[in-house]
Parts: sequence; C-alpha cells; structure tokens
Amino acid sequence: MTWDLFAVFLGSTIRLAAPLLFAAIGELISERAGVLNMSVEGMMLTGAFAAAVGAAMTGSPLLGVLAGLIAVLPVALLQAVLTNALKANQIVTGIGINILILGATTLGYRELFGNRSETQIPGFGLWTPPGLGQIPALGTQTFPQVWLVYLLIPLAFGVWFVLARTGLGVALRAAGDAPLAVAHSGVRVGALRYCAIVATGLFASLGGAFMSVGDIHTFTEGMTNGAGYLAISAVIFGNWRLGRTVLACLIFGAAKALQFQLPAMGIHAPSALLIMMPYLLALIAVAGLVGRQRAPAALARPFP
Amino acid sequence: MTLARPALSLRALVPLGATLAAFAVGLALIETTGASPAAALGAFLDGAFGTGYAISASLNRAAVYALVGFGFILPARAGLTNVGGEGQIAVGGIAATAVALYGGVSGLPLGLAFVLPALAAMVAGALWAGLAAVLKTRAGTNEVISTLLLSFIAVWMVYWSVQSEALLRQPMTSGATLPESLSIPDATQIPLLTGDYSAPVTVGAPFVLVLGIGVYLLLARSAFGFRLALLGQNPTAAARAGIAVERATIAVFLIAGALGGLAGAYMLQGDQYALKAGFSSGYGFDGLVVGLLARGRVAGVIAGALLFGFLRSGGITMEMVTGVPTALVQIVQGLIVVFLAGSALWLNRTETR
Repeated sequence: MTWDLFAVFLGSTIRLAAPLLFAAIGELISERAGVLNMSVEGMMLTGAFAAAVGAAMTGSPLLGVLAGLIAVLPVALLQAVLTNALKANQIVTGIGINILILGATTLGYRELFGNRSETQIPGFGLWTPPGLGQIPALGTQTFPQVWLVYLLIPLAFGVWFVLARTGLGVALRAAGDAPLAVAHSGVRVGALRYCAIVATGLFASLGGAFMSVGDIHTFTEGMTNGAGYLAISAVIFGNWRLGRTVLACLIFGAAKALQFQLPAMGIHAPSALLIMMPYLLALIAVAGLVGRQRAPAALARPFP
Repeated sequence: MTLARPALSLRALVPLGATLAAFAVGLALIETTGASPAAALGAFLDGAFGTGYAISASLNRAAVYALVGFGFILPARAGLTNVGGEGQIAVGGIAATAVALYGGVSGLPLGLAFVLPALAAMVAGALWAGLAAVLKTRAGTNEVISTLLLSFIAVWMVYWSVQSEALLRQPMTSGATLPESLSIPDATQIPLLTGDYSAPVTVGAPFVLVLGIGVYLLLARSAFGFRLALLGQNPTAAARAGIAVERATIAVFLIAGALGGLAGAYMLQGDQYALKAGFSSGYGFDGLVVGLLARGRVAGVIAGALLFGFLRSGGITMEMVTGVPTALVQIVQGLIVVFLAGSALWLNRTETR
C-alpha cells in the first residue's frame, strides 16, 4: 500500500466510523444507565430523515441537523416512557420503534420527494483543520472531513468527563450497576434513565444526520441499514468503556473501508467476512476470550 | 404457578384494541397521502384473504412466525431471552439448502427427501442457539447480546454462501447468473396441502399447529416445563432445589434453536426454494416480536403469527394495487408492538392481583 492509498484508507475509515462513533457514544450513555437501547437504529434513521428534510426545505444543512435533533426527541421520549414509566421490555420496544420509524420515514420520504427518488439535498462541504492541510497525502486525503467529524473529539471528551469525573456520572453508572442503591440514596433512577435515553437520541440523531446531510447529501429508504446495531456491537466490544468503544468504532470503520479498498487494490477477500467481522469481534469479546467482560449489572432490567 | 389470570375477555380485548387503534392510525395516514382508504383497505383485504393463493401465502408466513415465536417463549419461561430467531432461520436455511441440493436425498422414499433437509436445519439451528447457551453457562455471557450477534453473523454467512461458488452459489454460466443457490429438487420441497400451486399452503402449516400443542404440553404439563418455570422464578432457589441449571439452560436453547432452524427450512423448502442473500430478511425479528407479545402463551403466539402473517401479505398487495407503500404496514405493525408493550404493565398488574 502506498502512502497515498494509506491516506485515502485512513480518511474513509474515519468517515465511515463517524456515524458509528456518534451512535455508540450515545448508546454507551444509556447502557451505563442500565438501558439496552435497541431503538438507536430508529433514532439514527430519524436524524438522517429529519436532517435531510430540514436541509431540503430551508436550504441550510445546519438547520437540517437542528431539525434532526428536534425530531429525535419524541422518539427518545417514547422509548423512555415505555421502558421506565410503563416498564415495557426494552428489547421489544426497541424493535417496535425501529419498525415504526423505518415505515414512517419511508412513507414520509415518498410523500415529500416522490417515489424512489434520490434528490440531492444541501449538505456540508469538507473542512480541513488549519495547519493540517500542508501535510503530504494526509493533508489532502485524510484530514478534509465534514466538520461534524471534528465535533466528535470534544463530544467524546465531554462524555468521558461527565461519566468519569462528575457526580452525575457516578449516579448514572450506578443506575446501571445498582439501581436499588441509587434509589436508597434518594436519587431517582427513572429520571437518570430518561436523561440517558434522551442523550442517546441526540447523539444517534447526529450520527444519522452525518450520513444524510454530511456524507452522501441525500436520503435513501432505510439508509442506516443496521448501523445502530453495529453501534451496539461496538459498545459490547468496547466492554462498556468509552476509549475501547471509540477504538471498536474505528476498527469497524476500517473493516468497512477495506471492503471498498481491497478490490481496488486487486485483492479479493470475501466481502462477507469483512462485513461480518465487527459482529464476530464483538462475540469473541463478549465470550470472554479477550480479557474479562463486564456489562452493567442491571442492563436491560426495568426498575424497580 | 397459581397466578390469578385476568378474564379471558381482557387478555383478548387488549391486543384487539391495540390492533384496531393501530389500524385506525394507518387508515388516517392513507387519507393524508391522498389515496382512498377504502380502495387501499380493499386491496389490503384482497391481498390477505382474497384468493386461495393470498390465504396460503399468509398462512405459510404465519407458520414461520409461529415457529420463531415458540422458540422465544420456551426459553422465556426460564427467564432466558432468545433474540436469535433471525440467525437460527439463516443457518437452518443454509443447512436445508446444502442437504437438499448436495445430500443425495432427492431419491429417498417415504418423504425422507424433504424431512432430512428439515432435520439438518433443526440441528443447525439447535447448534447455533446452543452456542449462546454454552457461552451463557460457561462464560456468563448475556444471551440477549450473544444471540443478537449470532444473528448478524448468520445473516452474512448466508450472503457468503451464495456469493461463493465453492459454497452454495449456482454454477456461473454467464455474467448474469444471480448470486443465489440452485433451486432445490421437487422431491425435497415440502408437499402442498392442496396439491395445487395456486394455493401453496404446505403440510407444514398444520404440523406447526401440532408442534404448538407439543410446546404447550411441554410448558404446562411436563417436568421439564416445571423446571423451566422454577428457573424463571428464581434461579438460585432452583439450583438449591437440585435442578441442573446449566443442563436445563442448554436443553431449552437447543429446542428453541431447532424450532428456529425448522422455520428456516419451512421458508426454503415451502416457499422460496432457493437460497438468496437476505433470505431471512426480518422474518426472525417479526417472529421475535410475535413471541414477545404472546406473553408466554402458545395461543398468543399463534394469534400473533396469524395477525402478522396476514398483515404482511395484505400490505404487499396494497402497494402493488393502490401504490400505498407497504411502509404503511410497517407503521401499523410497529404501532401494535408499541401499544402492546406499553400495556404490559397494566396487564401484569391485573394478572397478579
């Protein structure tokens, strides 16, 4: 692999990992609070759809992202009310919401843009952080990215800081590990989980918006195509830790980039193996073959 | 277990109410898209019940959902969650295809030609689910996570096996050869109940009903079912009472996986006849929802399977005839799930009162 090709590979790895990173960081917040939020797929799709519609109607991709953030709120609240107030099974509500959103966005898109059209919508251009453009190869092939990618850096640090260094983070993690103890200390587990699910929704929506107005500048039906489940796998492979989750997303992004790059380099690997790899890695991790795996103790259990 | 159950009427009325409410939303949505709700509903009913073919297609679909649903409620009795129906269908489909095409079974008498591939599918599904059970008992891996991951892996294994000629892809005769397996021989197809392709419901559909009775007896009348229920109520107490928790866990997952594998065989040998990428496409997750909403009851699984089976078939015709996208059916289906999941708390309360 030449230096140039490697720079292209790095660039597409980051671009393909970006939506996963948003969704997985968001999903991590919910899971640490004890909610296995399967609806992250639907939340991403909501973000992608609303951002596309918002951008098309206002002509501004930024307003599109904002529309995505607003549109995901009712979805997140639905998930939160069902799993907290009504104590519904987290998996069934997640799958139900995903089916519902897939149907609703498909119907909505056809109503607004006509059957099966792939209308170009206003999207973000590429941006290179100042000073990095001069680096050979990397400067032209890797660093020019949609600015949302660079937003991930402060967001990830922010989430790390809140989870690891603040009282809110302690309470949030305790809601996932020992909800009864949290309740006994006078903090409301339900309120923490509501906040966590809404945060997941906002992050997932950014991931979806990145796909539509950031990356390909159009919306296609069901365009998230399992990215939400991939994000859940990344959290599992990341052992419910932020650093490892980020690493998992980058590995998954690299696997996806290789699907496109290997044939271009004349190497024929079975693409199914590359697509399957993230799930295989997550399974190997969760089977305890690479160090001890520790899921939040109360994951997927309604409280009380 | 001597929990007081709510009156039958309540148990039936809540799902019925949820379904009707979801349908009402669906009809209102059709109105907003500018199509005629009456025409769409007519096409929908025609697609679900209009012809022998429509009814047959819906029943075949329902049979698959029911098998996956049974595979969910069995482990659920022991407090275990099998969300791997999709993967069990996929590996079942691969095994059934391999045996039907290359197992030399098509000449066998006594129906062995179609029974053996189905048995192979059951073994494959059982092993696939058994893997999750072994991970659970040996490494403590959460079965929700392992069965989910195993599903995605299996789905891509199907893709792989139909992409590679070394596996199940049909021989490439031209550039236009589709990435799918050869069609399985006639003898390996599940026989039709009517003997007529214009109403292609298979003998598998009544067999699934018989299996349902078996699942009911296993859960309600057998010592194994009793052990599962104890395990579900309190695993620690069950272990103290001398129940081999690991063995029961593995056994119930093997049975559940076998049912999921059989669902894959049913889809392949009773409906699609050739393995394609995306073979299982959503059947497993729809079936999972059927199982979840059945609240542990065999009758609930069958009712849910019929509802979803007819819904999907009707939706496809509705799109073809009136142009109302089948996405609308997804909305209705999603709403039913959300409504029913939301009413679970209330039903549980009336149940334990």
